[in-house]
Amino acid sequence: MIEVKNLTKRYGNNLALDNVSFKIEEGTVVGFLGPNGAGKSTTMNIVTDYLSATEGSVTVMGKNILEEPNEVKKLIGFLPELPPLYLDMTVEEYLSFMYDLKKVKLNKVSHINEVCEITKITDVKGRIIGNLSKGYRQRVGIAQALLGNPPVLILDEPTVGLDPKQIIEIRTLIKNLGKKHTVILSSHILPEVQAVCERILVINKGKLVADGTADRLAHDLSSEHKLIARIEAPEKELVMALKALARVIDVVCYGEKEPGVFEVSIEATPGSDIRRDLFAMLTRRGWPILSLRNTDLTLEEVFIQLINGDAVLINQDSEDSIIEKGAEE
Amino acid sequence: MSAVFKREFKSFFTSPVGYVCVAALTALYGFFFYQVMVMGSTSYIGSVYYTIFTYGMMIVPILTMRTFSEDRKNKTDQALLTAPVNVSGIVMGKFFSAFAIYAIATLMGLLPALALSAFAVLPWGIIIGNIIGTLLYGGAMISIGVFISSLTVSQVIAALGTFAVSLMLLFIENLASSSGIVGTVVKWISFTSRYNTFTQGLFDITSCVYFLSIMAIFCFLTMRKIESRRWN
Repeated sequence: MIEVKNLTKRYGNNLALDNVSFKIEEGTVVGFLGPNGAGKSTTMNIVTDYLSATEGSVTVMGKNILEEPNEVKKLIGFLPELPPLYLDMTVEEYLSFMYDLKKVKLNKVSHINEVCEITKITDVKGRIIGNLSKGYRQRVGIAQALLGNPPVLILDEPTVGLDPKQIIEIRTLIKNLGKKHTVILSSHILPEVQAVCERILVINKGKLVADGTADRLAHDLSSEHKLIARIEAPEKELVMALKALARVIDVVCYGEKEPGVFEVSIEATPGSDIRRDLFAMLTRRGWPILSLRNTDLTLEEVFIQLINGDAVLINQDSEDSIIEKGAEE
Repeated sequence: MSAVFKREFKSFFTSPVGYVCVAALTALYGFFFYQVMVMGSTSYIGSVYYTIFTYGMMIVPILTMRTFSEDRKNKTDQALLTAPVNVSGIVMGKFFSAFAIYAIATLMGLLPALALSAFAVLPWGIIIGNIIGTLLYGGAMISIGVFISSLTVSQVIAALGTFAVSLMLLFIENLASSSGIVGTVVKWISFTSRYNTFTQGLFDITSCVYFLSIMAIFCFLTMRKIESRRWN
């Protein structure tokens, strides 16, 4: 669907994007995650042909952006970081202008009404855009991107500057759009990406540093797979019994947290899952288990690790294979 | 191109800029007609048109200053440049919308002449010549103004830059009297000397081609400028 190969962008001596490659399959919602200035907007601007890449190629549905720019632009609906709104026009005039500009071939009145319905701006259609609140302007921006039903939607920080209620509404909207369109959205807000996206691309200092689902990223980056459990049992016997379990490497007791209840961390061999065995053993002995969680990192921790350069989930040699795996998910 | 033209043209009238430009020029035309025709009681109408065209130059920077600077400042250029239209369409749309306002304002200058024609026989050749010359001169200035607007995000700088260039082109004629190559070149460049042939009621093809070439060159430069921004 969308294929980006070895994209590099230099602003003078400043390297904004460094050899970024990825593939996006049809019908996925992909999140572009990175700190401010990581190169998210630059990538999006290149894919939408607002900027040109210094090196590399962008192909959308088999059409190269350098060879057929206008064909590619027809396939993409774009909401830039700042919605490109003419503040002196009414919502209806603006959408009608964008409809003409994009050379959409659908029935004009009904299509504009449909887009307004989807983004819930029907009741402000006659108002001057300059008088609308930020949330409504953002919606008008999304409505503009939806004109012509492009198969690809690119949304650059769609929820920035909105209040929590508006954020939830826009997220729901994006999720619904994801059913019909391929959506790429950028954000520096982690829960947002986690809530909306099926796949996450993490970009930092112009480099793609991770690619996968939220869970996979968290799982792969945790160097050890530990379980933390609270179990009501005598301390010494408990530790002995746990150490005796198959595939357990180490057991550490953190002490008595509640009367008669001990917290232990259980480290198993990488890639193994001992939760069922653990449960079976504890029931056999009649020791109730009160809580169990694993220590996979939260996405926040993953993110911090990635942008601090402690970890890289893609190394350049095996880049293709990891990206393929990510794409399949 | 038509979508951009329509939007730009309308926007001149959603803000008062379009109305003010047309009204100001129409009022000035009326005033000069009154002064020359009644107080001086001369029937030499050509002199009126010859002097008032300079006032038309006043509105050109106002019309062109926003064309590209405003888009870039408000980031609306992202909507234009990511839409499936060619840069040439965007530039021409903006050029023609500014030119349309200028043309309306200029044609308003015919009103006093039409009123007078009920009472006297007017030298229409000279009047039409002046109008055509003014339109061509203005078109060339507008293309330069649009180009200057594409160079900066500041509307004030765009307006001042265009104003300075238009004044320079207006007075460069003064150097034409100097002898030698400078005089020849200046005379060739000078908008005013090109314009003068029209004021005598002559339709001069070379001057016509000259002004049209200026428009083509500066519209082309604007397109290149907009394109080049993508590479930086």
